[in-house]
Amino acid sequence: MTKFYIDGKEVTAHKGETILEVARREGIYIPTMCYISKVSPIASCRLCVVEVKGVDGFVLSCQTPPTEGIEVFTNSPELFQHRQNIMKLYNVNHPLECGVCDKSGECELQNKTLEFGVQSQEFSAKEQYRPIRNWGKIQYDPSLCIMCERCVSTCNEAIGDDAIELKFGGYSSEIVPKGSDVLECSECGECIAVCPVGALISTDFKYSSNAWELQQIPATCSHCSAGCNLFYEVKQESHFDNTPRIYRVKNDIEHVSLCGAGRFGFDFANSDTFGDFETAVSKLREAKTILFSSHITNEEIEILNQIAKTTGAKLVNPEARKFQQFLKAFATTSGETLYNGTLEDIENSNQIIVIGTKIATDNPAVRYAITRAYKKHRAYISYLHPVFDSTLQNTIKQFINYEVGTEEGVIALLADTLITNSNLDLDIGYLSGETNIGEEELETISKIGKRAKNRTLIVGSDLITHEKSENIAKYIGLIQKNSNVKVVIVPPDTNSLGVALFGNLADEVQAPTVGYNIEGDYTIASIGKCDFSVPALNQQEGTFVNIDKKVVKTNVAVPYRGKNLNDLANAILDNPKRWTIDYTSELFGVEFDELQDVEIVSKMYRVSGDVDEVEELPSFDGAVVYNSNPFLQFNPWTAKAIEEKPYLLGAKQFAIANKLSDGDMVRFEIDGEIFIREFKIDNSLKGVIALNPIFDKGLRSYKLLSKYRFQRVQIEKVKSNGRS
Amino acid sequence: MNKEVIKGSQNYIPVEIEDYPTTGWQKFKQVVRRSLGKELFVGLWVVLREMLKFNIHTVQYPEEVLPLPSRYRAVHKLLRLLESGNERCIGCGLCEKICIADCIRMETKEENGRKVVSEYSINLGRCIFCGYCAEVCPELAIVHGSRYENASEQRAHFVLKDDMLTPIDFLKEQKEFDGFGAVSPNADKLIKKTPLAY
Ligand code: SF4
Ligand code: SF4
Ligand code: SF4
Ligand code: SF4
Ligand code: SF4
Ligand code: FES
Repeated sequence: MTKFYIDGKEVTAHKGETILEVARREGIYIPTMCYISKVSPIASCRLCVVEVKGVDGFVLSCQTPPTEGIEVFTNSPELFQHRQNIMKLYNVNHPLECGVCDKSGECELQNKTLEFGVQSQEFSAKEQYRPIRNWGKIQYDPSLCIMCERCVSTCNEAIGDDAIELKFGGYSSEIVPKGSDVLECSECGECIAVCPVGALISTDFKYSSNAWELQQIPATCSHCSAGCNLFYEVKQESHFDNTPRIYRVKNDIEHVSLCGAGRFGFDFANSDTFGDFETAVSKLREAKTILFSSHITNEEIEILNQIAKTTGAKLVNPEARKFQQFLKAFATTSGETLYNGTLEDIENSNQIIVIGTKIATDNPAVRYAITRAYKKHRAYISYLHPVFDSTLQNTIKQFINYEVGTEEGVIALLADTLITNSNLDLDIGYLSGETNIGEEELETISKIGKRAKNRTLIVGSDLITHEKSENIAKYIGLIQKNSNVKVVIVPPDTNSLGVALFGNLADEVQAPTVGYNIEGDYTIASIGKCDFSVPALNQQEGTFVNIDKKVVKTNVAVPYRGKNLNDLANAILDNPKRWTIDYTSELFGVEFDELQDVEIVSKMYRVSGDVDEVEELPSFDGAVVYNSNPFLQFNPWTAKAIEEKPYLLGAKQFAIANKLSDGDMVRFEIDGEIFIREFKIDNSLKGVIALNPIFDKGLRSYKLLSKYRFQRVQIEKVKSNGRS
Repeated sequence: MNKEVIKGSQNYIPVEIEDYPTTGWQKFKQVVRRSLGKELFVGLWVVLREMLKFNIHTVQYPEEVLPLPSRYRAVHKLLRLLESGNERCIGCGLCEKICIADCIRMETKEENGRKVVSEYSINLGRCIFCGYCAEVCPELAIVHGSRYENASEQRAHFVLKDDMLTPIDFLKEQKEFDGFGAVSPNADKLIKKTPLAY
C-alpha cells in the first residue's frame, strides 16, 4: 500500500499498481493512447505523462508505480502543450479520410485530436508507398496506423498467437505478419478490436455501416462455456427492410478478449418457421423422453424441467449427464460440489497443468488466460495430451504426450505428483510405462510446484467422456482437496454447467422422443430444417452458467418471428408465464433485470468416496482420429455463420501409416455417423492421430459430444487426389 | 367615434373605426348601404380599370413561381461533381448523425474498394428544414433546393436518392450551390492548406 496524491486527492496504490491504474480506479482522467489494461504497458504514445512535484521532467504514468507521498499533477499548461504536440505529430501525414474510414465516430485519434485542439496539419513528411494489406478477415491500412503497437502486444500477450510484429523504418514502419508474408493466426480479430484508429478493420464489415448507426446489445457469446461478454451491434437489414440484423460484434477491449467464433460467428439467427404449433405441443405432451443439448439457457432448462414434471417425460442430455456425474464423483472425494478455480485463477498462476483437452480450440478464453499467466508470471505450463498442439508452442514449456485411452493412469500419476505425501497406492512403473509418461517429467512438475505459489489444473472433456470418468473425477477431487492446486473443469458445451446444476436428467431414452436442439423423433431446433423452429440463442434472453460458475445474461439481438419454448410450455403447463425470463427468479431468486454478479457457490459435501485402483489401461491401435474443431468453429451455429470446409487433418506420419496423400477423399464411421472428408496434411501436427472436425454435422454432432473424443476408425479411401 | 389616445413615442396611426351596429335595424341599414351603395361599384371599377390596362400583379401559380433566394431551405438535392459527374456524397454519414429530426437514412457498401452510398433517403414528414445536413456536409453533396411543394397523403413522405440526385444527363444544368452551407466567397483566403511533402 502506497499513499500518495493525485491532483491533491489522497489515494492509495496496491502492490504493483501504476499511477495510471490508481487514477483510473479513482476516476481521475489521464489521457492515453497506447495503454490497454489487459497487456503490459506499451509506453509508445507518451500521452499519459504527468508531473510529479520535485521531479524534473514528465513521468509516464502508465508504467510508473507511485512512491510514498508523491504529489502527482495530471494537468498543467505544459502538460497540455506536450500532449498537443504529440497529437500534432500523430497527425503528420495522417490521411484526412474520416469520411470513408470505418473508425470514424469511435476513433481515438479523432477524439484526442479534438480534445487537444489540433485544428490543422502543420507538418508533413515524405509519404512512403505502403499499400493496403489484405489478411483474410482482417484488412490493414498502414497509412492510418499510428504505430501504437496495441495490436502487437494484444496478439502476443493476451492471445498468444504472436502473429504480427512491428517492422521499423521511420515513416515506412508497418505492422507485418511475423515471419511470413501472409497472416496465419487463429483469427480472433482482437487486433481489430484494440486498434484505436481505422488501420485494422474487419474485411466483412468494411463500409457496411457508420459506427453511430449501430445499436449495441449487451449479450453473452453462446459458442463455448467461457460465456464471454460481448456486444452485438445491430441495424436495419437494409434501407427498405427494418428487420434488425447483426452487423458486427464488439467487446470491452480492456477486460475481455474474444475468439474468432465469438467475433465473426454472429450471423446465426434463425429465420425459419417450420412446423405447426399444435403438433409441436402434442408431440411434447406425448413424448416419453425429451432430449436436449447444452446449447440452451438456464431458463429453458427450467421450462423443460417443468414440462417433464407435468407430462411425466424424462429429460435426457447425454453430454451434460456425463458432466453432472463427473462432478458428482468429484464431490465424493473433494468434499465440494464444484471445482474451485476460475479464469482469473488461471491467469494468476505460476504453474498450470492442462490435461485432456485441445484447449486452444475447445475453450479459447482458457487459452488466453494461460497466455496471460505465462506473460505476466512466467508460469510454467505443462500440457498433457496425446495430440501435439503447435498453436501453444509460444507459451507451453512442457508437452507430455500420453497414450490415447490411458487418462485414468495419467490422472492417478498426476494426483500422486501434485499431492504431497499422497499415500496413493500406485504401481508407478506400470502406469508410467503404459501411459508413456516419464518419471522425470512428473518430477519436473513436482519440482516446479514446490516453487509455484498459485497452481491450477485444467481438466478437459476427454476425461469427462472417458470410460473411467468416475474414477478419474475422484482423483481430481483428491487433488482439489489435498493440494494447493486449484482445479478448473472445462464444461464441454456452452451451458453444460447450467444443465448439470439445474437439469433433472435421466439416462435411458424411451420412444417417442422430442429433441430440443438435438435430433429426436420430433425435432425442435433453432437451426435448419427441423420439425418445429424456435429462436436461436442471439434471439433470446436468458442466462448461462459459465466456466467461472457465474450466471451471465444474454439479450435479444434480433427478433424471431415465431414461437419459442416458453410458448410451447404455456400450452402444457398450468401456470403460464409471459416471458422465458419469468423463470429467472425461480432459479436465482432475482428478476432477470435485476440479476447481477450471481455466482453459483460450491456446496459442502460429505467426503464419502475413495479412488479405485487403476486397473489395466486400454490401448488404441490402428487409425485413430480425435474429434476437434478448427479455430472458428464450435457447433452448427458457427458453421452457419462462418463458411468453412471441414478437413480431416493429419501429420505426414498419419498419412504414411494410413497410405493417404494430401487431397484424398476418405470415408470413415464413428458411432454410426458417416464422415466423408478430404484429407489434408498439416505440417504443424505430429504423430499418428488425425483431427476430425464435427461442426459441419448439424445437430447430429451433439451425439458425438458425449462420446470419448478419440476414436479408432477404419479409413477407406474413396477417391484419390489424382496426383499420386 | 372612440378615438383612443395612444401614448408613448411611437408614431402609430390610429385607424378610424365606425361604431359597430348593435340593433337589428342598424345592421340591416349597414348591409344595404354597403351592397347597394357606391362601395361595391368602387371596387368593381378598380378591378375593371386595371384589367383594361393589363396591369396584373397576381403571380400565375402554378404556371409561374417567384424566384427564391439561394439560402432558401426547401427539399434537398444531392449534387454531382461538375467535372466528372461522379456523386459527391462519400457516405461519411455526418448528415444523418447531425440531423436533429433523425430523418436521414443511408446505406453504404464497398464497391471496387471504395465506400459508396447505395441508398439515401430523407423523410420530409419529419424534416424541419433546419439545414444542418447541408451545413455539415464536407463535400457540398447534400444541399437545400428550392422545391417546396411537398404535399403528401401521409405524414411520412420520403425522398429517395434518385429523387434528389442530379440526373447525369442534366449535369450541365447543375449550378454550383451558393446557398445554405456553401463555402463562403472568400473561402480560398480563409483555408489553411494541408502541407504535402512529395
Ligand atoms: S483513423 Fe480516425 S482520424 Fe484517421 S481517418 Fe480514420 S477516423 Fe479519421
Ligand atoms: S494497427 Fe492499430 S493497433 Fe496496431 S499499431 Fe497500428 S494503430 Fe496501433
Ligand atoms: S467462443 Fe468461447 S472464447 Fe470465443 S468468444 Fe465465445 S465464449 Fe468467448
Ligand atoms: S434540414 Fe435539418 S431536419 Fe431536415 S434533414 Fe437536414 S438536418 Fe435533418
Ligand atoms: S454529409 Fe454529405 S458526404 Fe457525408 S453522407 Fe451526408 S451527403 Fe454524403
Ligand atoms: S499510455 Fe503511457 S505511453 Fe501510451
